[in-house]
Parts: sequence; C-alpha cells; structure tokens
Amino acid sequence: MAPTLSPAWRQRWPWAAGILAVAAAFGLQTQLYSGQVRTIGTIFMFVALALSWNLIGGYTGYASFGQVVFFGLGGYVTAALMTHAHWSFWLALPVSGLLAAGYGALIGIPLLRLRGHYFAVATLGVAEGTREIVTNLPDLTGGGGGITLPTVGAAASTKYLGNDGFYLVFLVLAALCLLVTALVSRSKFGFALRAIHQDEDAAAAVGINTTRTKVLTFALSGFLTGLVGATYAFQQVTIYPERLFDVELTVLMVVMVVIGGSGTVLGPILGAIGLQFLSEWLRQNYTTIHTLLLGAIIIAAVILLPQGLVNYLREARRNGDYSLLANVRRYRL
Amino acid sequence: MSGFFQATIYGLLQGGLLALVAVGFSLVWGVMNVVNLSHGAFVVLGAYLGWQLHSSLGLDPFLGMILVAAVLFCLGYAVQRLLINLVVNGPIFITLLLTFGLELLLVQGMNIVFTANYQSITTSYAGNAVIVGDIQLPLGRLLAFALAVVITVALVRVMSRTRVGMSIMATGMDRGAARLMGIRARHVYAVTFGLATALAGMAGTMVGVVDTFNPAAAGRFTLLSFVIAVLGGLGNMYGALVGGMLMGLVQAWGGYFLPGTWVNALAFLLLVVVLIFRPSGLVGKAFYSARLEV
Repeated sequence: MAPTLSPAWRQRWPWAAGILAVAAAFGLQTQLYSGQVRTIGTIFMFVALALSWNLIGGYTGYASFGQVVFFGLGGYVTAALMTHAHWSFWLALPVSGLLAAGYGALIGIPLLRLRGHYFAVATLGVAEGTREIVTNLPDLTGGGGGITLPTVGAAASTKYLGNDGFYLVFLVLAALCLLVTALVSRSKFGFALRAIHQDEDAAAAVGINTTRTKVLTFALSGFLTGLVGATYAFQQVTIYPERLFDVELTVLMVVMVVIGGSGTVLGPILGAIGLQFLSEWLRQNYTTIHTLLLGAIIIAAVILLPQGLVNYLREARRNGDYSLLANVRRYRL
Repeated sequence: MSGFFQATIYGLLQGGLLALVAVGFSLVWGVMNVVNLSHGAFVVLGAYLGWQLHSSLGLDPFLGMILVAAVLFCLGYAVQRLLINLVVNGPIFITLLLTFGLELLLVQGMNIVFTANYQSITTSYAGNAVIVGDIQLPLGRLLAFALAVVITVALVRVMSRTRVGMSIMATGMDRGAARLMGIRARHVYAVTFGLATALAGMAGTMVGVVDTFNPAAAGRFTLLSFVIAVLGGLGNMYGALVGGMLMGLVQAWGGYFLPGTWVNALAFLLLVVVLIFRPSGLVGKAFYSARLEV
C-alpha cells in the first residue's frame, strides 16, 4: 500500500481490510436475490478451496493434484454420518474435517517423500483410488448410484439450510481459511514452508523438521478442504462419487491459485472470485462454447501471467516495468 | 481355467495397445519434464480422425492411421512451438495448467464437432475371430497389438539410431550442453511433442477399431498414460511397453477375480506403491533421474 503508512499500520491494515471484506460479504447477502445468493455462495466455496490448496501447493510448493480426495472424503463422511447414524450436520461437519486431516497425515507420510511431478501423480492416484473404493462400498456410500442425505421430514437430523444458510456457512469457511492462511503466512511455520519450497535440503540443514512440517501442512489443508466438501455434500443433497471426486475440482483450485498468485494470501481469493465470475458469465452468455472459451482463457492467462496476478503486480511495482511482453519472456525457452 | 487364460491373453493384447497410448506421454515427460494433461485428448482426436476418414472416404483405419499421424504431428509441433515452449521453464503447475487448458479446448471442440455420442470404427474384418486352442481372439485386437508393438520398437530404433532421435535424447539429458552442440532446442522440443501426438493419434485410431470412444474418454487415457509411464520409468520406451502390458494384465485379472469396479482401485494402488518404493520405474534406471536441471 501507500508508503506513507506508519509501521504499526503497515502491520495492521491487511487485518483491517480482511475483517472489512468479510463484514461486507455478510452485508452483501441482504442486497442479492435468491439465484445470486447461490452463485456468490459458490464463489465463497471456491475461495475456501483455493486458499486451502494454496497452503500445500503455493507456500510449500507440493503440487497436490489429488486435493479433491479431501473434498470427497469430507462430503461422504458427512453423508454417511447423517444418513446412517442420524448425526446432526453441525456435529458431522467437524468430524468430517478431522477425518480428512487424518487421511492427509496418513497418505502424507509416504507420499510427501516424493518431489515434483511424482508427488502430483501419486496424489492424483490416491484420489482416483479413493473414489473407486467409495464407489465400491455401496452399503455405506450408495455406490455409483449416489446417496441422498435426509433433509426433509422426521428423518432429517438437521433442517436443510437453504440458499441463505449455505451462503453463510461457505462465507464462514472462506473466512476461516483466510484467517488460517494469514496466520500461517506471518508465522515462523509459514517461513518454514517457504524455505521448504525454495530448497528443501537447505531447509533441513537449518533445522526445520521438513517431514513433520509438510505432513502437518498437508493435514491442515486436508482439514479445511474436508470442511468445504462436507458442506457441499449437504448443499447438493444427493451426491455421486464422480462429482465429489472430480479431478476438475482439483484443477480449478490450482488454476485459481496460480492465476491469482500462489504463495500469497490475496492471490487465491482474487483468482477464485475472478475465475468463478468469468466462468458464470461465459455460461450465461455463450452456453454451448463456454468450456471451450474457459480453456482458451486459461491458456492465455498462464502464458501472459505465469507467476500470478498478485506476484506480477508486486514485481512490476518494484521494478516499474508493467510490460506483459517482458513477463512472457520469463519462462520461455 | 480357460476363462482365466482368455482374460490373460486379452489383458496382454490390451496392454500392448495401452503401451502405444502411453509411450508419447512418457517421452514428453522424460525429455521436457512436462506432464501433458492433454495427451488423452490427442488420443481421442486420433480416433475421431480415423473414424472420419473411414466413414467419409472409406479409408481402412490401419491405412488411415498414417494420415492421422501426419496431421497430428503437425498439430503437436505447432502446439509446442507456439504455446508450450513459452512456459516450458516455469514451475510444474504452469505447464500442467497450460496443457489442462488445451485439454478443455480439444475435448469441448470435439464435443461440438462430433457430439458426445459413443462412436467406433467398424470394419468388415476386425470382428472376425481367430481361434487358438479353445481361445477366441478378435482379429482387430491382434492386429492392433502387433502394430502397437512394432511401432514402439521402431520408435526405440529411431531414438537410438537417427540424428533426430539422438538430438531428442541429448536435449532431454542436458539441454544446456545440447544447445552448445548446435542443437536447436525449440525445434527439438516441438518435434518431440509432435512425435508424441502422432503416436497418440495412431493409438487412438486403433482404440477406435477395437473399442468405442467419445470425447469424455480423454481423461481416462491421460490417467492410464500417467500410470504406465511411471510404472515403466519416464522416457523409457521399452519401459512403457512393460508398463502397458502390466497395466493390461492387472485390469484383466482384476476384472476376472474382483467384483464391481474394484479393478480400477487396484490399478491406482499399484501406481502409488510403485511410486513409493521404486520411483524410477520398474524397468531399470529412469533416463530422467540422471538428468540435470538447466
């Protein structure tokens, strides 16, 4: 921001801005009509997902291409608990998050030894494999035919929240992810993550327990993603393995983080809001070819802004060079 | 017992074809360190081109394949030269995302042009049964298997015996040194990608002969290529053949012994186990692991 700010305010203004933004989002709800409430609620969902992927992918540099496994697991744990055990959603929600975190730690211990593409592929394999397991346990999960959560009548353990209710839940989840990211970003833990990203051997050499740090981060990221998945499952009422473990969800998280600026607090939020708005606008105006256009836009964005919007602006301001063409040369062969 | 035997043979035949699907993917990953998420889309595109040639010109798919390969080589060359080369030095998410965007573009494009309906290339002879002992094998599958193996072996020869092949290998091992020797890395990368898409296209046409396909199958082919490339070791073409056969066998036996779709879970379990215990692949030392980052 402005260099005239006093040092104390330079520390404080991001917090103030964050609180104001969340408060404004609460207020915004009263100004929207029903269809918009759902659309904006979905945007908050993606903000939360992008922020939680950013912890492991952006800060730590481990490209989790199976992040959707936590989303699906969270959703299915909630579905199973609400359907079979008649738990309240509010109890099932944290339990789903914790189970997703536990799963993250469990698969993280062997997988986080792998680096680069190998980690990406291994997590992708875990996600696909977990989806198949979920599909093949029909007694618990309804299998490929899906499972319907009890939302009406006496069977409903928690009354369906409706568009307004889910708007609030997703907003609270996005705010939680924002809080966690902001805290991590400024803590010693956050610097350990950045150190691992830059040079893992050097990080270990300066005394960072890299394995523990990575597994903790993966579990934390899984916890947050699991919470979002649980809420999504309740919102959808009927869920299918194909949808809840959809690779495209993972890719969307990555796209949002990379386009916004990975390893920053603000980047994933801007990326999620921007991409969701754009995608929704394209869907309404170019129904038949909107996915095609989205593909073309992703290609253009990746080539023009490979380091993400926030990082680009930061560097451009430092160097006084806003040329996109110079930016393209960055990763060119 | 004969059922088990039949499943085994089927698995091996399917595995040979899968090897051809995956070999280009493995090559691109090994040489350029790019995980090409659009690989499956090129396979399906090859299938559609072969189908179009067959249905509108009456060209036999095994002949049309050559034309398909030529078209896809040019397309792949252009894609690498004009798009992927621009970000090839970036972090891994960047190339992953670029190829994902490409996948969306290709799959949706095919959805619009060819619709999402299942298609298959039906020839008069592919369904004919060849009977060996008490096992029946469709002629199309046998032909596809034989061609897939021949092409993979030919590719290995090209890589080790020709100037183009050796410059690809050299660039993959150490790009900086290769450029100092006068190799044009931009061109070599584009040729590599073109080769990969041409192979994907040929594999796609043969998939079309023995099976049905639609644009949505692209993701599945990419995933299979992933698994096979890792099993065989990146950039290792014989490895892809072994990985493909293994994948085919696992699928066939899993389908024979296990109920439901547990077989898919098995394939990914295999992938994760191999990655944890032998990340350089099952077959020898991966060519990629010795590579220097430039």
